Amino acid sequence: MRIITHTCPDCGTVVAANELESNRVMKCPGLGCQAVLRFDDLPEDARDHFLDNRERYQI
Amino acid sequence: MKGVLLSGGTGSRLRPITHTGPKQLVPVANKPVLEYAVEDFKAAGITEIGVILGHKGRDEIQDLLGDGSKYGVDITYIVQGNPLGLAHAAGCARDFVGDDDFVMYLGDNILKSGITDLVESFEAGDYGAGIALQRVDDPQAFGIADVDENGNVTELIEKPDDPPTNLALIGMYVFSPAVFDAIDNLEPSWRGELEITDAIQSLLEDGYEIDSHVVTGWWKDTGKPEDILEANRLVLEETNLTTDGTVAEDATTDGRVGLAESATIEDGAVVRGPVSIAENTTVKSGTYVGPYSSIGANVTLSNIHIENSVVIGDSEITASGRIVDSLIGRSANVESTDGLLPEGRRLVVGENSQLKL
Repeated sequence: MRIITHTCPDCGTVVAANELESNRVMKCPGLGCQAVLRFDDLPEDARDHFLDNRERYQI
Repeated sequence: MKGVLLSGGTGSRLRPITHTGPKQLVPVANKPVLEYAVEDFKAAGITEIGVILGHKGRDEIQDLLGDGSKYGVDITYIVQGNPLGLAHAAGCARDFVGDDDFVMYLGDNILKSGITDLVESFEAGDYGAGIALQRVDDPQAFGIADVDENGNVTELIEKPDDPPTNLALIGMYVFSPAVFDAIDNLEPSWRGELEITDAIQSLLEDGYEIDSHVVTGWWKDTGKPEDILEANRLVLEETNLTTDGTVAEDATTDGRVGLAESATIEDGAVVRGPVSIAENTTVKSGTYVGPYSSIGANVTLSNIHIENSVVIGDSEITASGRIVDSLIGRSANVESTDGLLPEGRRLVVGENSQLKL
Protein backbone atom coordinates (compact mmCIF):
# COMPACT_ATOMS: atom_id res chain seq x y z
CA MET A 1 0.00 0.00 0.00
CA ARG A 2 1.46 3.29 -1.07
CA ILE A 3 2.01 5.61 1.88
CA ILE A 4 1.86 9.27 0.98
CA THR A 5 3.20 12.06 3.17
CA HIS A 6 3.91 15.75 2.93
CA THR A 7 6.59 17.66 4.81
CA CYS A 8 5.82 21.11 6.18
CA PRO A 9 8.23 23.51 4.45
CA ASP A 10 8.44 25.69 7.56
CA CYS A 11 9.00 23.29 10.47
CA GLY A 12 9.71 19.90 8.88
CA THR A 13 6.75 18.12 10.45
CA VAL A 14 5.69 15.20 8.26
CA VAL A 15 1.94 14.76 7.71
CA ALA A 16 0.25 11.67 6.28
CA ALA A 17 -2.06 12.13 3.31
CA ASN A 18 -5.10 10.83 5.21
CA GLU A 19 -4.68 13.73 7.62
CA LEU A 20 -4.34 16.26 4.82
CA GLU A 21 -7.31 14.85 2.94
CA SER A 22 -9.62 14.81 5.94
CA ASN A 23 -8.90 18.48 6.60
CA ARG A 24 -8.21 19.68 3.03
CA VAL A 25 -6.76 22.90 4.49
CA MET A 26 -5.13 22.75 7.90
CA LYS A 27 -2.76 24.58 10.16
CA CYS A 28 0.47 22.62 10.41
CA PRO A 29 0.24 20.29 13.46
CA GLY A 30 3.82 21.19 14.41
CA LEU A 31 3.57 22.99 17.74
CA GLY A 32 3.86 26.74 17.20
CA CYS A 33 4.12 26.43 13.41
CA GLN A 34 1.82 28.80 11.56
CA ALA A 35 2.16 27.24 8.12
CA VAL A 36 -1.00 26.25 6.28
CA LEU A 37 -0.94 22.81 4.67
CA ARG A 38 -3.27 21.71 1.91
CA PHE A 39 -4.15 18.40 0.35
CA ASP A 40 -3.44 20.18 -2.92
CA ASP A 41 0.21 20.54 -1.82
CA LEU A 42 0.66 16.87 -2.73
CA PRO A 43 1.77 16.01 -6.26
CA GLU A 44 -1.13 15.33 -8.62
CA ASP A 45 -0.35 11.61 -8.98
CA ALA A 46 -0.27 11.20 -5.20
CA ARG A 47 -3.63 12.97 -4.82
CA ASP A 48 -5.17 10.86 -7.55
CA HIS A 49 -3.81 7.66 -6.04
CA PHE A 50 -5.12 8.60 -2.61
CA LEU A 51 -8.57 9.53 -3.85
CA ASP A 52 -8.80 6.40 -6.00
CA ASN A 53 -7.98 4.27 -2.95
CA ARG A 54 -9.47 6.45 -0.29
CA GLU A 55 -11.29 3.70 1.62
CA ARG A 56 -7.99 1.92 2.29
CA TYR A 57 -6.67 4.94 4.17
CA GLN A 58 -9.63 5.01 6.55
CA ILE A 59 -10.21 2.86 9.61
CA MET B 1 20.93 4.72 12.53
CA LYS B 2 17.78 6.68 13.27
CA GLY B 3 14.92 6.16 15.68
CA VAL B 4 11.19 6.03 15.10
CA LEU B 5 9.17 6.36 18.27
CA LEU B 6 5.51 5.39 18.05
CA SER B 7 3.33 7.68 20.14
CA GLY B 8 -0.13 7.24 18.70
CA GLY B 9 -3.00 5.08 19.88
CA THR B 10 -6.11 5.88 21.86
CA GLY B 11 -5.03 4.48 25.22
CA SER B 12 -8.47 2.94 25.67
CA ARG B 13 -7.23 0.41 28.22
CA LEU B 14 -5.95 3.23 30.41
CA ARG B 15 -9.19 5.17 30.62
CA PRO B 16 -10.14 7.36 32.39
CA ILE B 17 -6.51 8.48 32.74
CA THR B 18 -6.25 8.82 28.95
CA HIS B 19 -9.46 10.77 28.51
CA THR B 20 -7.35 13.88 28.95
CA GLY B 21 -3.98 12.90 27.55
CA PRO B 22 -1.95 10.33 25.67
CA LYS B 23 -0.95 7.09 27.32
CA GLN B 24 2.72 7.71 26.58
CA LEU B 25 2.76 10.61 29.04
CA VAL B 26 1.53 8.63 32.05
CA PRO B 27 4.39 8.78 34.54
CA VAL B 28 6.36 5.84 35.83
CA ALA B 29 8.53 6.77 38.82
CA ASN B 30 7.52 10.36 38.13
CA LYS B 31 8.79 10.35 34.56
CA PRO B 32 6.58 10.07 31.46
CA VAL B 33 6.91 6.66 29.85
CA LEU B 34 7.93 8.29 26.57
CA GLU B 35 11.05 9.80 28.13
CA TYR B 36 12.44 6.34 28.89
CA ALA B 37 12.34 5.55 25.18
CA VAL B 38 14.09 8.81 24.24
CA GLU B 39 16.78 8.05 26.80
CA ASP B 40 17.19 4.52 25.44
CA PHE B 41 17.70 5.94 21.95
CA LYS B 42 20.30 8.37 23.24
CA ALA B 43 22.09 5.61 25.18
CA ALA B 44 22.26 3.54 21.98
CA GLY B 45 23.85 6.47 20.14
CA ILE B 46 20.70 7.33 18.19
CA THR B 47 20.12 11.06 18.22
CA GLU B 48 17.82 11.59 15.23
CA ILE B 49 14.35 10.53 16.28
CA GLY B 50 11.08 10.67 14.40
CA VAL B 51 8.12 10.76 16.78
CA ILE B 52 4.94 9.34 15.24
CA LEU B 53 1.81 11.15 16.43
CA GLY B 54 -1.75 9.86 16.14
CA HIS B 55 -4.89 11.83 16.78
CA LYS B 56 -4.48 12.05 20.53
CA GLY B 57 -2.10 14.15 22.57
CA ARG B 58 -0.15 15.72 19.72
CA ASP B 59 0.36 19.04 21.44
CA GLU B 60 1.12 17.50 24.83
CA ILE B 61 3.78 15.21 23.39
CA GLN B 62 5.38 18.02 21.39
CA ASP B 63 5.21 20.23 24.46
CA LEU B 64 7.08 17.62 26.51
CA LEU B 65 9.74 16.57 24.03
CA GLY B 66 10.12 19.86 22.12
CA ASP B 67 12.87 19.70 19.54
CA GLY B 68 14.68 17.12 21.64
CA SER B 69 17.52 19.42 22.64
CA LYS B 70 16.89 18.99 26.35
CA TYR B 71 17.59 15.27 25.87
CA GLY B 72 20.54 15.81 23.53
CA VAL B 73 18.62 14.50 20.52
CA ASP B 74 16.99 15.98 17.42
CA ILE B 75 13.27 15.26 17.07
CA THR B 76 11.12 15.38 13.94
CA TYR B 77 7.36 14.93 14.30
CA ILE B 78 5.46 12.68 11.93
CA VAL B 79 1.67 12.85 12.00
CA GLN B 80 0.21 9.48 11.08
CA GLY B 81 -3.39 10.49 11.73
CA ASN B 82 -5.53 7.40 11.30
CA PRO B 83 -4.16 4.36 13.16
CA LEU B 84 -3.53 2.25 10.07
CA GLY B 85 -1.04 -0.09 11.69
CA LEU B 86 2.61 -0.26 12.71
CA ALA B 87 3.77 -0.77 9.14
CA HIS B 88 1.83 2.32 8.07
CA ALA B 89 3.50 4.26 10.89
CA ALA B 90 6.90 3.06 9.71
CA GLY B 91 5.98 3.96 6.14
CA CYS B 92 5.08 7.49 7.19
CA ALA B 93 8.67 7.82 8.44
CA ARG B 94 10.21 6.95 5.06
CA ASP B 95 11.27 10.50 4.12
CA PHE B 96 12.63 11.05 7.61
CA VAL B 97 14.62 7.80 7.63
CA GLY B 98 15.96 8.10 4.08
CA ASP B 99 18.65 5.52 3.39
CA ASP B 100 19.48 4.84 7.05
CA ASP B 101 18.64 1.86 9.20
CA PHE B 102 16.25 2.64 12.00
CA VAL B 103 14.95 1.34 15.31
CA MET B 104 11.20 1.32 15.78
CA TYR B 105 10.21 1.61 19.44
CA LEU B 106 6.70 1.50 20.87
CA GLY B 107 6.41 4.58 23.04
CA ASP B 108 4.37 2.94 25.78
CA ASN B 109 6.96 0.23 26.40
CA ILE B 110 9.77 0.20 28.93
CA LEU B 111 12.74 -2.11 28.67
CA LYS B 112 15.12 -2.66 31.54
CA SER B 113 18.10 -3.25 29.33
CA GLY B 114 17.41 -0.55 26.72
CA ILE B 115 18.04 -1.10 23.02
CA THR B 116 21.82 -0.95 22.75
CA ASP B 117 22.25 -4.75 22.53
CA LEU B 118 19.47 -4.98 19.95
CA VAL B 119 21.18 -2.35 17.79
CA GLU B 120 24.64 -3.90 18.17
CA SER B 121 23.32 -7.35 17.27
CA PHE B 122 21.68 -5.96 14.12
CA GLU B 123 24.78 -4.02 13.11
CA ALA B 124 27.01 -7.09 13.53
CA GLY B 125 25.46 -8.72 10.44
CA ASP B 126 23.87 -7.90 7.12
CA TYR B 127 20.23 -8.07 8.06
CA GLY B 128 17.01 -6.81 6.55
CA ALA B 129 15.57 -6.43 10.03
CA GLY B 130 16.14 -7.33 13.65
CA ILE B 131 13.49 -8.08 16.22
CA ALA B 132 13.52 -8.13 19.99
CA LEU B 133 12.13 -11.26 21.57
CA GLN B 134 11.38 -12.35 25.08
CA ARG B 135 10.69 -15.79 26.49
CA VAL B 136 7.12 -16.06 27.72
CA ASP B 137 5.15 -18.71 29.60
CA ASP B 138 2.08 -18.50 27.37
CA PRO B 139 3.32 -18.30 23.75
CA GLN B 140 -0.18 -19.03 22.44
CA ALA B 141 -1.09 -15.48 23.44
CA PHE B 142 1.66 -13.73 21.47
CA GLY B 143 3.21 -13.29 18.07
CA ILE B 144 5.95 -15.93 18.12
CA ALA B 145 9.22 -16.18 16.21
CA ASP B 146 10.88 -19.41 15.16
CA VAL B 147 14.66 -19.07 14.92
CA ASP B 148 17.48 -21.22 13.56
CA GLU B 149 20.69 -22.22 15.33
CA ASN B 150 22.30 -18.88 14.41
CA GLY B 151 19.49 -16.89 15.93
CA ASN B 152 18.09 -15.88 12.55
CA VAL B 153 14.33 -15.72 12.34
CA THR B 154 12.80 -18.33 10.06
CA GLU B 155 9.11 -17.71 10.62
CA LEU B 156 6.68 -15.43 12.45
CA ILE B 157 3.42 -16.88 13.69
CA GLU B 158 0.61 -14.89 15.30
CA LYS B 159 -0.84 -16.57 18.41
CA PRO B 160 -0.03 -20.14 17.33
CA ASP B 161 -1.97 -23.12 18.66
CA ASP B 162 1.20 -25.17 18.53
CA PRO B 163 4.06 -22.70 19.12
CA PRO B 164 7.47 -23.80 17.86
CA THR B 165 9.21 -21.62 20.48
CA ASN B 166 8.30 -19.47 23.45
CA LEU B 167 10.01 -16.42 21.92
CA ALA B 168 7.48 -13.61 21.74
CA LEU B 169 7.82 -10.38 19.74
CA ILE B 170 7.85 -7.48 22.17
CA GLY B 171 7.44 -4.57 19.80
CA MET B 172 11.03 -3.40 19.32
CA TYR B 173 12.45 -3.64 15.83
CA VAL B 174 15.44 -2.59 13.77
CA PHE B 175 14.94 -2.19 10.05
CA SER B 176 17.04 -1.61 6.99
CA PRO B 177 15.46 0.72 4.41
CA ALA B 178 14.46 -2.43 2.50
CA VAL B 179 11.40 -2.57 4.73
CA PHE B 180 9.86 0.39 2.91
CA ASP B 181 9.57 -1.55 -0.34
CA ALA B 182 8.06 -4.44 1.61
CA ILE B 183 5.51 -2.04 3.14
CA ASP B 184 4.68 -0.62 -0.29
CA ASN B 185 3.66 -4.12 -1.35
CA LEU B 186 1.53 -4.90 1.70
CA GLU B 187 -2.22 -5.12 1.72
CA PRO B 188 -4.26 -4.21 4.80
CA SER B 189 -5.01 -7.13 7.08
CA TRP B 190 -8.51 -8.29 8.07
CA ARG B 191 -8.56 -5.49 10.65
CA GLY B 192 -7.72 -2.85 8.06
CA GLU B 193 -4.16 -2.27 9.23
CA LEU B 194 -0.76 -2.66 7.64
CA GLU B 195 0.87 -5.23 9.91
CA ILE B 196 4.56 -4.96 10.71
CA THR B 197 4.79 -8.75 11.03
CA ASP B 198 3.60 -9.00 7.41
CA ALA B 199 6.39 -6.62 6.39
CA ILE B 200 8.97 -8.75 8.21
CA GLN B 201 7.54 -11.92 6.68
CA SER B 202 7.84 -10.27 3.28
CA LEU B 203 11.50 -9.48 3.93
CA LEU B 204 12.05 -13.13 4.85
CA GLU B 205 10.39 -14.29 1.64
CA ASP B 206 12.56 -11.89 -0.33
CA GLY B 207 15.65 -13.58 1.07
CA TYR B 208 16.69 -11.12 3.73
CA GLU B 209 18.11 -12.47 6.97
CA ILE B 210 16.23 -11.34 10.07
CA ASP B 211 18.22 -11.02 13.27
CA SER B 212 16.73 -11.85 16.64
CA HIS B 213 17.76 -10.54 20.01
CA VAL B 214 16.40 -12.16 23.15
CA VAL B 215 15.79 -9.57 25.86
CA THR B 216 16.74 -10.98 29.23
CA GLY B 217 15.72 -8.17 31.59
CA TRP B 218 12.15 -7.14 32.20
CA TRP B 219 9.98 -5.51 29.60
CA LYS B 220 6.65 -3.82 30.22
CA ASP B 221 3.92 -2.66 27.92
CA THR B 222 2.29 0.03 30.04
CA GLY B 223 -1.09 -0.19 28.34
CA LYS B 224 -3.20 -0.93 31.42
CA PRO B 225 -3.34 0.51 34.96
CA GLU B 226 -1.88 -2.64 36.50
CA ASP B 227 0.98 -2.45 33.99
CA ILE B 228 1.75 1.12 35.07
CA LEU B 229 1.92 -0.03 38.70
CA GLU B 230 4.14 -2.96 37.79
CA ALA B 231 6.45 -0.79 35.69
CA ASN B 232 6.55 1.75 38.52
CA ARG B 233 7.59 -1.00 40.91
CA LEU B 234 10.27 -2.32 38.57
CA VAL B 235 11.72 1.12 37.87
CA LEU B 236 11.68 2.25 41.50
CA GLU B 237 13.46 -0.95 42.41
CA GLU B 238 16.43 0.09 40.30
CA THR B 239 16.35 3.86 40.03
CA ASN B 240 18.84 5.96 41.89
CA LEU B 241 16.70 7.90 44.37
CA THR B 242 18.07 10.89 46.24
CA THR B 243 16.54 12.87 49.06
CA ASP B 244 17.03 16.50 48.07
CA GLY B 245 13.93 17.93 49.75
CA THR B 246 13.11 18.74 53.35
CA VAL B 247 12.59 15.96 55.89
CA ALA B 248 11.36 17.32 59.21
CA GLU B 249 13.11 16.23 62.37
CA ASP B 250 10.19 14.14 63.62
CA ALA B 251 9.39 12.57 60.27
CA THR B 252 10.48 8.98 59.64
CA THR B 253 12.00 7.75 56.40
CA ASP B 254 13.26 4.25 55.70
CA GLY B 255 14.82 2.82 52.59
CA ARG B 256 15.41 4.76 49.40
CA VAL B 257 13.31 7.91 49.22
CA GLY B 258 13.49 10.15 46.17
CA LEU B 259 12.39 13.58 47.35
CA ALA B 260 12.52 16.57 45.01
CA GLU B 261 14.23 19.67 46.32
CA SER B 262 10.97 21.58 46.79
CA ALA B 263 9.10 18.64 48.38
CA THR B 264 8.57 18.23 52.11
CA ILE B 265 7.97 15.39 54.53
CA GLU B 266 6.53 16.96 57.67
CA ASP B 267 6.74 15.93 61.32
CA GLY B 268 4.73 12.82 62.10
CA ALA B 269 4.79 11.45 58.54
CA VAL B 270 6.30 8.08 57.68
CA VAL B 271 7.78 7.30 54.26
CA ARG B 272 9.16 3.87 53.48
CA GLY B 273 10.97 3.44 50.19
CA PRO B 274 11.48 2.85 47.43
CA VAL B 275 9.36 5.92 46.87
CA SER B 276 9.55 8.89 44.51
CA ILE B 277 8.04 12.23 45.56
CA ALA B 278 8.07 15.07 43.02
CA GLU B 279 8.30 18.85 43.22
CA ASN B 280 6.15 20.97 45.52
CA THR B 281 4.54 17.96 47.15
CA THR B 282 3.93 17.85 50.87
CA VAL B 283 3.55 14.73 53.00
CA LYS B 284 1.79 15.88 56.11
CA SER B 285 1.56 14.52 59.63
CA GLY B 286 -0.28 11.23 60.05
CA THR B 287 0.52 10.13 56.51
CA TYR B 288 2.22 6.90 55.57
CA VAL B 289 3.72 6.52 52.10
CA GLY B 290 4.68 2.91 51.54
CA PRO B 291 7.01 1.12 49.13
CA TYR B 292 6.62 1.36 45.37
CA SER B 293 4.68 4.61 45.43
CA SER B 294 5.29 7.55 43.12
CA ILE B 295 3.72 10.82 44.14
CA GLY B 296 3.70 13.46 41.42
CA ALA B 297 4.18 17.20 41.65
CA ASN B 298 1.93 19.59 43.56
CA VAL B 299 0.27 16.95 45.72
CA THR B 300 -0.75 17.21 49.35
CA LEU B 301 -1.01 13.96 51.30
CA SER B 302 -2.59 14.16 54.73
CA ASN B 303 -3.66 11.35 57.09
CA ILE B 304 -3.71 8.85 54.24
CA HIS B 305 -1.87 5.54 54.10
CA ILE B 306 -0.82 4.94 50.52
CA GLU B 307 1.26 2.12 49.12
CA ASN B 308 2.19 0.61 45.74
CA SER B 309 0.39 3.43 43.96
CA VAL B 310 0.95 6.19 41.44
CA VAL B 311 -0.44 9.68 42.01
CA ILE B 312 0.11 11.61 38.79
CA GLY B 313 0.00 15.10 40.28
CA ASP B 314 -1.92 18.24 41.32
CA SER B 315 -4.01 16.30 43.85
CA GLU B 316 -5.21 16.69 47.42
CA ILE B 317 -5.45 13.34 49.15
CA THR B 318 -6.60 13.92 52.69
CA ALA B 319 -8.91 11.02 53.54
CA SER B 320 -8.09 8.93 56.58
CA GLY B 321 -7.93 5.52 54.97
CA ARG B 322 -5.69 3.17 53.07
CA ILE B 323 -5.05 3.38 49.35
CA VAL B 324 -3.18 0.49 47.74
CA ASP B 325 -2.49 -0.63 44.16
CA SER B 326 -4.06 2.55 42.78
CA LEU B 327 -3.52 4.93 39.89
CA ILE B 328 -4.84 8.40 40.64
CA GLY B 329 -5.14 10.82 37.74
CA ARG B 330 -4.08 14.44 37.56
CA SER B 331 -6.08 16.86 39.71
CA ALA B 332 -8.11 14.04 41.26
CA ASN B 333 -8.86 14.72 44.93
CA VAL B 334 -9.63 12.17 47.63
CA GLU B 335 -11.07 13.81 50.72
CA SER B 336 -12.53 12.64 54.00
CA THR B 337 -16.26 12.38 54.68
CA ASP B 338 -15.68 12.72 58.43
CA GLY B 339 -18.33 14.97 59.92
CA LEU B 340 -20.55 14.93 56.84
CA LEU B 341 -24.13 13.78 57.09
CA PRO B 342 -25.68 11.63 55.87
CA GLU B 343 -22.79 9.22 56.23
CA GLY B 344 -21.61 7.66 53.03
CA ARG B 345 -19.14 7.93 50.22
CA ARG B 346 -19.47 10.82 47.84
CA LEU B 347 -18.21 10.18 44.36
CA VAL B 348 -17.79 12.20 41.22
CA VAL B 349 -16.45 9.50 38.92
CA GLY B 350 -15.66 9.88 35.24
CA GLU B 351 -16.42 7.46 32.45
CA ASN B 352 -14.47 4.20 32.53
CA SER B 353 -13.34 4.70 36.11
CA GLN B 354 -12.80 1.67 38.32
CA LEU B 355 -13.44 1.80 42.05
CA LYS B 356 -13.14 -1.00 44.61
CA LEU B 357 -14.75 0.23 47.83
